Amino acid sequence: MSTDTRVRARGAFRWRPDQQWEAYLFLVPSFLGFFVFVVLAVLMSLGISFSDWGLTGWKAFVGLRNYQALLRDPVFWQTASNTVFYIVTIVPLQLLIGLAMALALNQAIRGRIFYRLVYFMPVVTTIVAGAIVFRLLLSTNGPLNELLGNAAGLLGIPFSAPNWLGSSDYSKWAVVILTLWKNAGFTMVVYLAALQGVPQELYDAANTDGAGPWQRFWNVTLPLISPTTFFLLVLQLIGAFQLFTEPFVMTRGGPANSSLSVVQYIYLTAFRDIRMDKASAMAWFLFIFIFAFTLLQNRLQQRWVYYESE
Amino acid sequence: MKRLQLSAIAGLMIVAMLALAACAPVAPGAAAPAAPAAGDAETAAAGPTTITWAFWGSPEEKASHERVAAAFMQEHPEIKIEVWHQPWDDYFTKIQALWASGDAKVIPDVAFLWPTPRYAAEGVLENLDPYIEQSGYDIGDYWPGLLESAKYQGNIYGFPRDIESNIIYYNRDMFDAAGVAYPSNDWTWDDFLAAAEKLTQKDANGNTTVYALAAEGGKWTKWVNQNGGSILDDYSNPSKCMLADPASVAGLQFFADMMNNGLAMRPADLNQAGGDASVFSSGQAAMILQNSSRVSTFNQAGLNYDIAPAPTPADGKRWNGAGGAAWVMSSGSDNKEAAWTFLEWLQSPEGGEKLYTAAGEIFPALQSVANSPTFLTDQPPANKEAFLTEAGASDVGGFGYFPEWGELSGSIIEPGLERVWAGEVSAEEGATDICSQVDAFLAENSYPQ
Repeated sequence: MSTDTRVRARGAFRWRPDQQWEAYLFLVPSFLGFFVFVVLAVLMSLGISFSDWGLTGWKAFVGLRNYQALLRDPVFWQTASNTVFYIVTIVPLQLLIGLAMALALNQAIRGRIFYRLVYFMPVVTTIVAGAIVFRLLLSTNGPLNELLGNAAGLLGIPFSAPNWLGSSDYSKWAVVILTLWKNAGFTMVVYLAALQGVPQELYDAANTDGAGPWQRFWNVTLPLISPTTFFLLVLQLIGAFQLFTEPFVMTRGGPANSSLSVVQYIYLTAFRDIRMDKASAMAWFLFIFIFAFTLLQNRLQQRWVYYESE
Repeated sequence: MKRLQLSAIAGLMIVAMLALAACAPVAPGAAAPAAPAAGDAETAAAGPTTITWAFWGSPEEKASHERVAAAFMQEHPEIKIEVWHQPWDDYFTKIQALWASGDAKVIPDVAFLWPTPRYAAEGVLENLDPYIEQSGYDIGDYWPGLLESAKYQGNIYGFPRDIESNIIYYNRDMFDAAGVAYPSNDWTWDDFLAAAEKLTQKDANGNTTVYALAAEGGKWTKWVNQNGGSILDDYSNPSKCMLADPASVAGLQFFADMMNNGLAMRPADLNQAGGDASVFSSGQAAMILQNSSRVSTFNQAGLNYDIAPAPTPADGKRWNGAGGAAWVMSSGSDNKEAAWTFLEWLQSPEGGEKLYTAAGEIFPALQSVANSPTFLTDQPPANKEAFLTEAGASDVGGFGYFPEWGELSGSIIEPGLERVWAGEVSAEEGATDICSQVDAFLAENSYPQ
């Protein structure tokens, strides 16, 4: 099927060397924008990370000094560990919740269009508005603690209301909860599309072979949607590495830097402390990590991602 | 034919882009006609010199600044003020970008700024000492210690517009209901705690329903300095952290104990409840520790309140932090003479200071304005003298005057104290931990210099 499209594409937009010149001309405006605002900016930040650079410009070349200062900075390591926490909680939870919602709403249940709409709504809601509501929900005497307290009371478990936003033990969870609420709908929609692409014949065949629901899910559904899982995993891992808005609007990174993410710290270093050089070094540090992780994932995908064409 | 058209369109697009790019730096320079006027004094008659004035603030604050600009232009028709306004969240990133551009046409000539020493160290601010000397501007009228906050390496780089005079606002109805006498002007920490015990109301589970005090976490410097403690051994060129010293720890613990005993609201809870003006207006707290910025809100709400100086420890002293956002001049300004004329007028007893004070927006940086009828009106609160008492005790000790202070305070000191305010660690544990990090930070940044 994919071969077909390629053939057709060739027919419609055939390569014509005599039009090459105009093609490049048309590309120039967008390429100029990309070059100035992306390529140049990225290269400059690399240069800045090796310089003594305050607000107004270059003062001296300092080699690896900014990177060394970073490694000695305890706040940087704290933000790094916070970010690792966000990655190991948000990424798997988001995939699981999104998949569970997609599986539920892929059934022929009453009003599923309505539910899909409801679950997708947070994705298109302004994060700041969401954060205001969540700050109320999560306040010490708020509805969530009341719910938990009642549940614990019923089960006879002792319960002391967590201070979600004001204590360094729970603030990260407050950010995680907001992020999951905001993004799980997106995961759901992508999974829904994937689920609908699984051919019914395979389920029929599995039924004939006497497979139960769990076996059908494990041996048919999961392998067939694994390319989608891979796509979402890469996307969300990068997203979790770059988490900024959620902690910024929810906790401002506090208390005691307990929910400060690396990207937030880059922002503070650049614009509060006016240390463009150290902030650039941090950005490149983060880039190397994201790059390495994505590369690793790409390698590992051969072991678990199933492509139909193979 | 078709080919020609394609090339023509593509070519036009590029030309248009280049034209746009070339225009961009010039377009905001509506000051262009002013440039020759500044360069050549004889053509000054051609029109007024335009200077750009930058500040942040809400639409109401912007309107107030614009009234001040209009009053200035009436007195000085030879100078035209153009306003550059951004909300607080965008102000600093955008003004940094203007300075970084190095383009005199877009750099604001006069700007509102904090922290002044950080920017002075970057070389974007004009040293005001020569102007002060030449014009004979009176710097003796400022509250004690206030100009220190706008100094870098001994030179003045800005004029603080106002000073935070942090006093206690108290709800008279709640004091009456609890049978507590109104605070005196020389009440002590013990008097304060005794009153707080009576004002606090708790439910059957021991949870506080009405707090005696609601104070922002950042107000802790008052308790520490009153008690003879300090943050650093030297606020311009520090060599060590002093927060873990007994006098400092006792000041921190005084504040923390009030929260741990349910007398004062924890700052995180206060923040969630909408801030001190909100909890004071709704009767959730009987007292707040705050500067004069709440007066107009409380007067509009018609609250039955008054103010008192902050309580002091029996063997301590009165202390108020001297510092505030300042008007500065850009070193990249292309109209420095006009900028100075405006700056001097803004910070004169009959100019900007008077207008802002009359509008109820500031507690003035100039003592003569605070002591004038402009400030001492017959509007509530009755005990306005309390502001003067507290401001008279202004001194250094609230923050550092070196470029790295913002980072030190924002990344280490305040976050460390948040754990104390949340009741997670004692003041001593928290301060010891903070000090080890502060000392490492100072060493890393080669202090003392």
